[in-house]
Amino acid sequence: MSVPLHLRSDEVFVLNLGPQHPATHGVLRVKLTMDGEYIVKAEPVLGYIHRMHEKMAEDGIFAQFMPNTARMDYLHALAFNHGWALVVEKAAGIEVPERAEYIRVITVELNRIASHLLWWAAFLLDLGGFTPLLYAFDDREKIIDLLERVTGSRLTYCYMRFGGVLNDIDDEFITGTRDFIKRLRSRLPRQYHDLVTHNIILIKRIKDIGFVSAEQCRRYGATGPVARGSGINYDVRKNEPYSVYPEFDFDIPVFPEGDSMARYMVRMHEIEQSMRIIEQALDKLPAGPVMGKAPRQLKPDAGYYYSAVETARGLLGHRLVCDGDKNPYKLKLRSPTFSNLSLFGEVAEGMLLADALAFMGSLDLVIPEIDR
Amino acid sequence: MGEESVPSSIESVPSSIVQFAQLDKLLNLGRANSLWPMTFGLACCAIEMMCTGGSRYDISRFGAEVFRPSPRQSDVMIVAGTINKKLELAVKTLYDQMPEPKWVIAMGNCAISGGPFKVKNNYNVIEGADKLFPVDVYIPGCPPRPEALLEGIMTLEEKITGKRRWPRVESC
Amino acid sequence: MTICEKLQQALQPLFPLCDVSSEPLVKDEPQVADSEKEESQTADTPTVGVLWTDAGRYGHHLDIVCLPDQVVPVAGIMDREGFFLEAITGVDWLKRQQLEVVYDYNRLGGEHCRVMVRTFLPRNNPVVPTVSSVFPAADWHERETYDFYGIQFQGHPNLIRILLPEDADFHPLLKDYTP
Repeated sequence: MSVPLHLRSDEVFVLNLGPQHPATHGVLRVKLTMDGEYIVKAEPVLGYIHRMHEKMAEDGIFAQFMPNTARMDYLHALAFNHGWALVVEKAAGIEVPERAEYIRVITVELNRIASHLLWWAAFLLDLGGFTPLLYAFDDREKIIDLLERVTGSRLTYCYMRFGGVLNDIDDEFITGTRDFIKRLRSRLPRQYHDLVTHNIILIKRIKDIGFVSAEQCRRYGATGPVARGSGINYDVRKNEPYSVYPEFDFDIPVFPEGDSMARYMVRMHEIEQSMRIIEQALDKLPAGPVMGKAPRQLKPDAGYYYSAVETARGLLGHRLVCDGDKNPYKLKLRSPTFSNLSLFGEVAEGMLLADALAFMGSLDLVIPEIDR
Repeated sequence: MGEESVPSSIESVPSSIVQFAQLDKLLNLGRANSLWPMTFGLACCAIEMMCTGGSRYDISRFGAEVFRPSPRQSDVMIVAGTINKKLELAVKTLYDQMPEPKWVIAMGNCAISGGPFKVKNNYNVIEGADKLFPVDVYIPGCPPRPEALLEGIMTLEEKITGKRRWPRVESC
Repeated sequence: MTICEKLQQALQPLFPLCDVSSEPLVKDEPQVADSEKEESQTADTPTVGVLWTDAGRYGHHLDIVCLPDQVVPVAGIMDREGFFLEAITGVDWLKRQQLEVVYDYNRLGGEHCRVMVRTFLPRNNPVVPTVSSVFPAADWHERETYDFYGIQFQGHPNLIRILLPEDADFHPLLKDYTP
């Protein structure tokens, strides 16, 4: 898409979006070359919250990296915990008891719902609506209460350990979760869909905006709701199953249109699918220990290991290189938002500035995850 | 008339020509009751700041729900998150652009001292917002709970007005 | 025919060998094989070739070690077979005085297959051709690898720093770096 011919002028100017901007969801700077209101060229500039996670992984032992994992994508911190625990368990050959796997899935899916709710609130804040933030945060506080009971933190969880989880869940957590799911299911049709999803203003603002084709997704490596909103049926939980996900019956919402509305609908449907997974996990929860046998001094065999988990934003990969020592030799975090944002330069050309911000919101960016 | 030089009779000028003791107190009360924060959420602490703006913790009770994106319209800069060497110049510019009277709250361990990123091989993180500009209130936590941010706002109000206007919760 | 077998067939012209043991590649041991291979760089470097690995244990199905010049043809074959570039990263082997560039490829849907492509470069002059003409995703990943390790990607449209300040003069993830 390029600037319409009759509107093109000879004068372009450079507009700086960020790093301090309410719509950039963190410290992202975008250098926009503008022709009036149309974007001629968009270059994201990163690095304003680069916090040396990969270097810190090399300098400490494996267990010392667990708090770092939560601070990268703080909205879905438990999935990052899970990815790190998975790769080290693969490398060291540690078995995880079944109850711990179920608890991991329940907490990760609860966190996924919380992440999508916050995305919804922030997206609508970008588009100019403040009220949805209050509704979404109300539900999100209920999730945070549940997770705080069991993990001890509100936001940056350091809950998983190599071999299991830290604490067991009790009956109050189980009844609380079931009540929460009932509550959210009753609120979704009115406060979420009637108020916002079927709202003509939202539809006009995001329908047919920010078209991303499936081939573009593949060439840029975009995964998660961005890829599923362009018709690609890929979810790590189904295509490369890990933990106990094969035991659950859930669907992967895929919308072929490729515009911001499709990505929006993917995430709203994912909230419902996460609730399905949690209900099934609570029904099937086995008894048993929550922590397997893990050696005190972890020295995995030398080699190259990879683990992939599905976060709320896409495929999170951990590429771990071990050399038989007690520190990781090298850790590369393949962050989903890094690849999703690399689409922005190509897709935003020729868009109006307000549409570009709607597109950026639909990509669900968390900048500390990009910058690590 | 002619032109003559008039000797100056005032040798030293006081800082404020006119002092209204009661009006200053009133102005400070007004400033404390309507602190407008600047949206400067950098990282994880920003989410807790947003939760404080939500309906459960409700920063609006303290008059501070009007988060202004522009530094020229805000009173207090809540530095919520880690400051980087790349971001340093931008933060200093934002601080300079805020008009007086202005205050700074350092929220979270990263803004106080670099937090979990103050490590041996630190090559990119500025260890604390007070290395760049004066900070009025420090709120520890990683991230601090919304109640801690509210306590920080109340402490700032105490600093502005001279006395604490809300009951202090004693530890039980 | 599975994807891995199809890929092996497509890679045959570049690596004239057959698949060998499924032992993992360890730091200092050369790859065990009993058919012809192209020459390796030092005695300790894993030798060039295609290795099948246990995906349940290691996370990837194929481990391909190639020469720096073969990186772009391999990427072209991956693109034709429908893979996407997941990540590019570097590893600093200080003792061997080598820098390694690791490419991870994966499939978006259908049968799952993850492929790791590795190449070794001399530490004092790390130069490798860019794959950003094949996969635009490589643009930012290569900038990040340059930022952290100083590896030069020939032919990259815009090889400037991405995460560190533009005027930084160090590469932090090198093993001999101290701030």
